[in-house]
Amino acid sequence: MAAQQKSSVKRDISRRVNLSFGAIVLLGAAIVIKAGMTQANDGERLRAQANRSFSDIETLYPDRGNIYTEEGKILSATIPKFDLKMDLSVINKDTFYNNVDTLCDALATILKDETAASLKQRMKEGFRRKSRYWTLKNKVAYYDYQLIRNLPLLRKPKNKGGFMPEPQMKRMNPYGMLAYRTIGLWRENAQIIGLEKSYDTDLSGRTGTRIIHKVGGQWVPLVGSEIEAVEGHDIVSTIDIDIQEVTEHALHDIMAQYECLQGTAIVMEVETGKIRAIANLGRQKNGEYWEDFNYAMIPSEPGSVFKLMSLYALLEDGYVNANTMVNCNGGQMRFGTQTVRDDHGGLGSITVEKAFAQSSNVAFASLVNKYYHDNPMKYIKHLQHLGLNQKTNLDLAGERKPLIKTPESKSWNKITSLPWIGYGYESMITPLHTCMVYNAVANNGKMMQPYLVSAVKEDGKVIRQIEPKVLIEKIGKESTIKQLQQVTRAVVREGTAKAAQSPFYTAAGKTGTAQVADKIGDVFYSYADGVKQGSFVGYFPAEKPRYTIAVVIRSKPHGVYYGAALGVPVFKAIADKLYTTKIGGWKVDADSLGKDKMLVAKAAPPGQLQYLLKMLGYTAYQENSNAMLSFLQNDAQHKLKIASKEVKTNIVPDVVGMGIKEALYLLENAGLKVHISGAGSVNRQSIPAGSNYKKGQTINLELS
Amino acid sequence: MKALLQQVKGDKVIWSVVVILSLFSLLLIYSTTDRLALEHNTTPFKFLLSQIFYLVLGLATVYIFHRIKYTRFMKWSVYLFLASIPLLLYTLFFGTELNSGSRWIAIPFVGVTIQTSDLAKLAIFTFLARQLSLKQKVIGNFWKGFFPVLLPVLIICGLIAPANLSTALLLGATCCFMFFIGRIPMKFILLLIVAGLGLVLCIFAISKLTGKGRGGTWQKRIEVFMGKNADADDTYQTDQANIAIANGRLTGRGPGNSYAKNFLPHPYSDFVFAIVIEEYGLIGASALMFCYLLFLWRSINIFRRCPYAFGAFLSIGLSFTLVFQAMINMAVAVHLVPVTGQTLPFVSKGGSSIVFTAMAVGVILSVSRYVDEMEGKQQLVKQIEKEQRDKEALAAAQNN
Repeated sequence: MAAQQKSSVKRDISRRVNLSFGAIVLLGAAIVIKAGMTQANDGERLRAQANRSFSDIETLYPDRGNIYTEEGKILSATIPKFDLKMDLSVINKDTFYNNVDTLCDALATILKDETAASLKQRMKEGFRRKSRYWTLKNKVAYYDYQLIRNLPLLRKPKNKGGFMPEPQMKRMNPYGMLAYRTIGLWRENAQIIGLEKSYDTDLSGRTGTRIIHKVGGQWVPLVGSEIEAVEGHDIVSTIDIDIQEVTEHALHDIMAQYECLQGTAIVMEVETGKIRAIANLGRQKNGEYWEDFNYAMIPSEPGSVFKLMSLYALLEDGYVNANTMVNCNGGQMRFGTQTVRDDHGGLGSITVEKAFAQSSNVAFASLVNKYYHDNPMKYIKHLQHLGLNQKTNLDLAGERKPLIKTPESKSWNKITSLPWIGYGYESMITPLHTCMVYNAVANNGKMMQPYLVSAVKEDGKVIRQIEPKVLIEKIGKESTIKQLQQVTRAVVREGTAKAAQSPFYTAAGKTGTAQVADKIGDVFYSYADGVKQGSFVGYFPAEKPRYTIAVVIRSKPHGVYYGAALGVPVFKAIADKLYTTKIGGWKVDADSLGKDKMLVAKAAPPGQLQYLLKMLGYTAYQENSNAMLSFLQNDAQHKLKIASKEVKTNIVPDVVGMGIKEALYLLENAGLKVHISGAGSVNRQSIPAGSNYKKGQTINLELS
Repeated sequence: MKALLQQVKGDKVIWSVVVILSLFSLLLIYSTTDRLALEHNTTPFKFLLSQIFYLVLGLATVYIFHRIKYTRFMKWSVYLFLASIPLLLYTLFFGTELNSGSRWIAIPFVGVTIQTSDLAKLAIFTFLARQLSLKQKVIGNFWKGFFPVLLPVLIICGLIAPANLSTALLLGATCCFMFFIGRIPMKFILLLIVAGLGLVLCIFAISKLTGKGRGGTWQKRIEVFMGKNADADDTYQTDQANIAIANGRLTGRGPGNSYAKNFLPHPYSDFVFAIVIEEYGLIGASALMFCYLLFLWRSINIFRRCPYAFGAFLSIGLSFTLVFQAMINMAVAVHLVPVTGQTLPFVSKGGSSIVFTAMAVGVILSVSRYVDEMEGKQQLVKQIEKEQRDKEALAAAQNN
């Protein structure tokens, strides 16, 4: 009985389960049918909606980070500009005619470049045509925009006043040409160079997106769909704009004087490896110079500056010391069918130190050949140890790979390769490599990684500090380093670089001269073209080195080319300036410079004026320390005052007498294109001060 | 591996369905997490890895649970039910808010958040199976039979409802299914439905009047579903889901080629079925539907073969819940019912929910394993009996 009841219960449950299963199957069928119906009934309409005209993904662009110097000066920045547009069709007729006069008068005062009458006429014309996208003015600066948006009519809501400002981001290099190749310039959809490229990921931030869709004919962002853009980080460059200026200036002087084709100068801080300046100048067709190529990072045959590397190998292996006698063989020596010649005639039998100071090709070719002939790799390994066969990995885009041959190389010649490498040919290294090696000698053997960016910042806070990096703790034996320092000093004291001597500091280094047979930029030169490369790489003060400076300049065909003539003066000019501003100051008595005479000072940054006055024993109070430019004046109480110099943008400023940096700052900020010829301070400007100009107009500056 | 596979018992068809759904889920997750990846500044690959992790964890859970003798769940169901009450209370007051419903709690030290309503669902259905099997004899009596079954359901639903009404309602509806199967008289069930709806209206009215709770959200969702008072912002989700459905046509745009995934919010969970239709077409979607129905059918088979009420109710209750949830998710995606926010079991991107679903499947397979073994034994007994008879017959013949 119980069993029967149980089975009847089970049958009942089974029936209910079947019923429920049926219900679920029906629900499933309903779902598929509903989907099918959606496809059949609304398919066409919905598929048509599935295109960009109904919903779209909008990209949200982040602000690009700025590039600063370590002192906080801006090297490259993104500033907003506004394109001011108006929808004139929405404005009520009475409102328009009541306001148009006042509005245009106010606009003319703010914008300054269009008269109120002309504005009025344009605006009325636009109103008559019911223009929906009338251009009031493009590229308006932020502070002007702030004033403008509060004017009558424009401050009304968009559907009544029709005002449609469109923000545009513009990248600005306030210093224009200074370190242009190094800083780079960012433009949308254009190739980026310099730090702008190598730190692009940091600077650019991350784009965000959001979904927008059409609601009643208007694009509306979908709430909750935003993925916010991440603003770009700022980077801090080791470039010092003052050092950069003097470097560029000094390089420019010499190159212009001898009409040289290409040149580079690098200033590196000995202890840290920080690059304080890189100038790269190339001669343009019109005879002017421009930062047109990264010459500092392009390998070429180094010439005599390479003798230091050979001497390093010889000293390390103990084959010679500075006082070992070497026979210069009357100034020439044959290796197979080829002859090595000294530039300055036979030197006879002299010490290694003297051979280095006088830059004897024969001495180094024969020494390297003599000791390494049977085992060239032993010599090559020293070069590899210095990292000359690898990129320096400077954090700047565009470095090319150097070449240090080995006996395995295809172009290795058993007879000539070794001696030729020994005095600076057949290898291809960049000026930066040479600078790095000399810097290691200056730094008591510690080789530092050259670098250009010392910090990455987010909202002013450092999020990544880039510390100096030691590549090699000590490149060689203590005695090797000491002797290398000794011979480099000898070069300045009694050798080929006597012109680098200074009464205030001791310099050390090595000149170099090489024949050029390669292609840099778009131009190919063979040895027969007579283009030579003159260089000087050195450091100072020799007792406690602070800066290493490498100068490499290519002459015009058959022009002046000796390293002593081209490289040394540039080095000297940079070193003098560095010494006065960064190291020692003058040891002369400021009083002797005439305290009672009337002071006349050119416009300069307030800090520099202050410094100058302090050196001369004057005191002056400062009106505004944030001013970019200031000048000296006597106020009503006959006190010296450093007043900020106003930068007017509607007339050409007077830059005669100014340094190139200040002149560039003023003129480029005013929107003028600057061409420079000559060197020194501004002697003449092609557009007279006070005259009107058009943006983008070219102004020629003659320096003297 | 081979040894492990030999240890895999229970209905092979159910096992296959689970594995197929898991693999299918990987395809969908990889396709639909583009935007999510962008939001988290990572790649869809990371979400794929996470899904693989949870699915493997899920399969392991199924395996472990199916090795447990199902009769043990009788006792465990009581503990689980009792434990879920304080957990739900805790969630209600201290849980993490997502979409302004407090539904999640974080497990300390592990760094995992779980949706307590998932745990509670598992608890109530195993407990319900126990209660129904115990009360079969007095099931027609309101106080003796119906009330002990009803009370736990009311408690659980009542605790879930304030934060997540749709889940509570769905739970209530599934329980009514269970009541129906468990032979509770129809009059009681109808009474319950009327009372439940009345209560919901009350809560809704109070929420609207005081401005607290989620009354506004519910009203909006219903209104949007009815097509009333809705602007483009509100119908955006369903519009995009419909676009996905229309795009899919019969055969779909192919794996990874969904267009709507870029615009549809949560394309990897709530609206994953719309993406299934878009990428695999009506045919692919029907196949997915078939998988769930097959799963249910095989579970009903287990129910039929199970001689004991508890096992039968476990298998039927848990499988119905799971498939019903799947149906609701799919119904939402095709705009057959208002938006509720249910996941598609094993397919949606998920963490703890996959594991809880896996537990349910593990319990069903445990019953299945028991039934298989028992039937095997019965056959063995029959065979032994037959041999015995043959022997006796032989002996008798010899004696003759």
